[in-house]
Amino acid sequence: MTEVNQTKKSNTIVHPRYGCAIGAINTVAAIPRGIPIANCGPGCADKQYFMLSFSNGFQGAGYSGGGALPSTNVGENEIVFGGHKKLDDLIKSSLKIMDGDIYVVLTGCSIELIGDDVGAIVKEYQEKGYPVVHAEAAGFKGNNLTGHENVVKAIIDQYVGEYKGRKKKGLINLWFDVPYYHANWRGDSIELKRVLEGAGFKVNVLFGSESGGVSEWKEVPKAQFNLVVSPWVGLEIAKHLETKYKQPFLHVPVIPIGEEATTEFIRELVDFAGIDNKKAEAFISTEAERYYYFLEHFSEFFSEYWFGLPARFVTVGDAAYNLAITKFLTDQIGLIPTKQIITDNTPEKHRQNIQKLFHDISDEFPLDVEFIEDGYVIEEKVRNVDYGSSVPLILGSSWESDVAKEIKGLLIPISTPIVSEVVINRTYVGYHGALTLLEKIYSETVRG
Amino acid sequence: MAKREIDLSLVDVENREMRLGSIISWDGSAEELVDNSRYELRSRDKRKSLEGCSGKKEKGCRLCELNMPFNQQTMCTHSIVGCQVGNIPDCILIEHSPIGCSAIHARFNLGYKMGLARRGKKIENIQIFSTNLLENDMVFGASDKLRQTILDAHNRFSPKAIFISMSCSTAIIGEDIESVAQEMEEELEIPIIPRFCEGFRSKHWITGFDISQHGIMRQIVNKHPQKQEDLINIIALWGTDYFTEILKPLGLRVNYMIDMASFDELAQASEAAVTATFCHALGSYMATALENEYGVPQVDAGQPYGFKGTDDWLRSIAKIMGKEDIIEEYIKAEHERVLPKIEALRKKLSGIKGFVATGSSYAHGMISVIRELGIEVDGSIVFHHDPVYDSGKSEQDTLKELVDTYGNIDHFTVSKTQQFQFYNLLNRVNPDFIIIRHNGLAPLAAKIGIPAFAMGDEHFPVGYDGIIRVGEALIEILARKKFGQVLKRHVKLPYTDWWLSQEDPFILARNPGILDEVAEPQLLESLTEDASPEASIIKSA
Repeated sequence: MTEVNQTKKSNTIVHPRYGCAIGAINTVAAIPRGIPIANCGPGCADKQYFMLSFSNGFQGAGYSGGGALPSTNVGENEIVFGGHKKLDDLIKSSLKIMDGDIYVVLTGCSIELIGDDVGAIVKEYQEKGYPVVHAEAAGFKGNNLTGHENVVKAIIDQYVGEYKGRKKKGLINLWFDVPYYHANWRGDSIELKRVLEGAGFKVNVLFGSESGGVSEWKEVPKAQFNLVVSPWVGLEIAKHLETKYKQPFLHVPVIPIGEEATTEFIRELVDFAGIDNKKAEAFISTEAERYYYFLEHFSEFFSEYWFGLPARFVTVGDAAYNLAITKFLTDQIGLIPTKQIITDNTPEKHRQNIQKLFHDISDEFPLDVEFIEDGYVIEEKVRNVDYGSSVPLILGSSWESDVAKEIKGLLIPISTPIVSEVVINRTYVGYHGALTLLEKIYSETVRG
Repeated sequence: MAKREIDLSLVDVENREMRLGSIISWDGSAEELVDNSRYELRSRDKRKSLEGCSGKKEKGCRLCELNMPFNQQTMCTHSIVGCQVGNIPDCILIEHSPIGCSAIHARFNLGYKMGLARRGKKIENIQIFSTNLLENDMVFGASDKLRQTILDAHNRFSPKAIFISMSCSTAIIGEDIESVAQEMEEELEIPIIPRFCEGFRSKHWITGFDISQHGIMRQIVNKHPQKQEDLINIIALWGTDYFTEILKPLGLRVNYMIDMASFDELAQASEAAVTATFCHALGSYMATALENEYGVPQVDAGQPYGFKGTDDWLRSIAKIMGKEDIIEEYIKAEHERVLPKIEALRKKLSGIKGFVATGSSYAHGMISVIRELGIEVDGSIVFHHDPVYDSGKSEQDTLKELVDTYGNIDHFTVSKTQQFQFYNLLNRVNPDFIIIRHNGLAPLAAKIGIPAFAMGDEHFPVGYDGIIRVGEALIEILARKKFGQVLKRHVKLPYTDWWLSQEDPFILARNPGILDEVAEPQLLESLTEDASPEASIIKSA
């Protein structure tokens, strides 16, 4: 089609980069033996599955997501007469058919608009002792990131419950990647847990292969503190837990990538928690030695590869990965940040702070950070960056594939959606992940 | 036989369950389903009442359905409209909805780009727009946002037409997309086509095809056609272009619709000499509308799968084209060409049992192909069943043709991608492989050791060569049983032992009281513990 220039600010979004609040079905499915129950139209859960799991590294939906996911599949009858009975039937039959430990009802647009009292239905089950929770997840109220926070808070309030007992020193609740939305979340979680345990902590990771499921969730109130490793997602959860359980939290906005950042991260945590640092320091020295063993080898390629390396890069993605990867590449590898576009609809109140975090990365290069959600505008911006004399490096989503092709750039997928690779157990964070990220970027480079 | 009425003066389409009596939940044998469907009777008495399940006269003449209290996530009509009218390269679809309704675009883009490549068109990203509605819009309405997005689409891409799709939320708050479309159509002087495809409106996504086709018939198809005597419409999806080769001896050029077709290719549908499709459940509405409105004849035959299906299909087109004289020789030569390869495949596949789980009449064709290969089929699923198609043509009664040509299928189930039932259904017949479209079911088959052939290219089984293609692919698929066996040994299903032990996949419909015999509540463990001095040593943030 003939394109006409137009980038006026409007409500329009093309090439979406997040799902709606119903996407938090994935948050529930990420809890071992957690069963999401979608209380919405017949296509809602399916569409979020395609955004956050299938078209995002083909992660698979695991035990209870994807095609296994119970849904009321609200029809005309429910819109006219209310969806109480259908939901009640579904909860009752889910308890009988789905083999789970916790069942979380997520209510979408249509049921929210017709005003069903979902809380009342779920409460009947709760009063009988069934582990059923309900959370609001209307798509017009928020995206899958805020949906994730809401679902976690609902589980805390309605399932984990009150706790006034003692805390366990050295036990951390980790609030980090948004499950499935961050395609590497499973690998990230393994690496960060490894790092935290190596430093002498115990960790409630709460999601993925390393989580103990509901018994781990019940440990949440006992943790010494909450650790939020993200610029903004998870802060609402930590604040909620601070009020509810008088639990302090530590906010680390930049996910650590590479030896220096990860080591600094560990030391900050040890200091905050007031635990003995011997174990942590021993761990750091082993990790550092291994890291530089590999980096030394890599440096030979990096120094004398004749056929050109990328220098200037743009990042297009959510605030968390965008910030962390921009920092690592700028600060540790010496690449030049040229445009950073944050696509996750970061709430206004966090934007200024995030911009400052970006600006703090480099004195040498002024960082150009923008918050944009419309793919058309994003791709225009990526197209018009001055990439200098080297091959353009774009760390973005698969939506940038056309523009990458057009400007003959390298596209490294770091954000939703990702359809050019299959992600299984991979991480770009911590000690190990940094090396994988380098492998990924420079494999693409040598492939040409 | 009587043609169904299709009223293009109306902006909207009647749901398929009302128009054709389509069902989504049924279990029995294929022969019983043929009998209960009463295709001929429904075809004759479209608007007259037939005896329904309750014994009373009911509008819509439904087959008796097994209503289940438990459902798993499926698809909606809104998705179908997105993957139909959202796949036209020089037109734009605007989804008037919150962003979640557009969350499937990256998946659409995969199919769309593959389709563009298969049809030799320029490969570029799909461009579907969302009005991205928020909470305030639900309270105050969102017509201005819709106008803005229409202007954005127009200014950015100068599309030849713009479609607008309704979602659950915009339908509930009563957005008047029809008025906005009319008003903007006058302003921009291109067709602006409102589509009412809110997910809750129909019990099956299949209605979304009718909604899409109806919009194209009303506002794109050329109302003053200049006949193109060598043009055949093939109502299709994204499949590889095998039809050109098959139809070459008849001197026909293929006009594929709707996916990847340009505005002009869609417009010329009314100029074609004949219309056919790879699947009557998908194509019958538009084929009938083209026949009724513009006199474009549609095939008087089933579908081009297996020997008999392909023979009949070719003969029907040859008859319409007045080329009956050459067709018998072509058919004979084709049989002779492919038969040795098919015989060899029959030997290799001897003793193998298959299971098909796809959309309805496509499944009928798929089963024909694998039975042609000598594979046993005693169980299958269709995701819905139409007791009659819009054409009303008895020659298009694909299920009857399947049963008449290849015999009964003992366990023939209508179930809308319900994974929990799939376990019991597969156990009932224990196949060596499944052939599947749509998502959600194949992962379960894999976990119980049954490999799946994901039939992503729907044209793969078409024609005489399609039989060979399927046979060869199945040999590769069967090797994957190893992977399934590994999973089976180590991976647990998300269903309770109680459910997995049920023999009847529809027990909840036949005996709903069984749900009240619920297990003992898993009581919440108390979290209270005594406060201890340790708590106080924690530093505050």
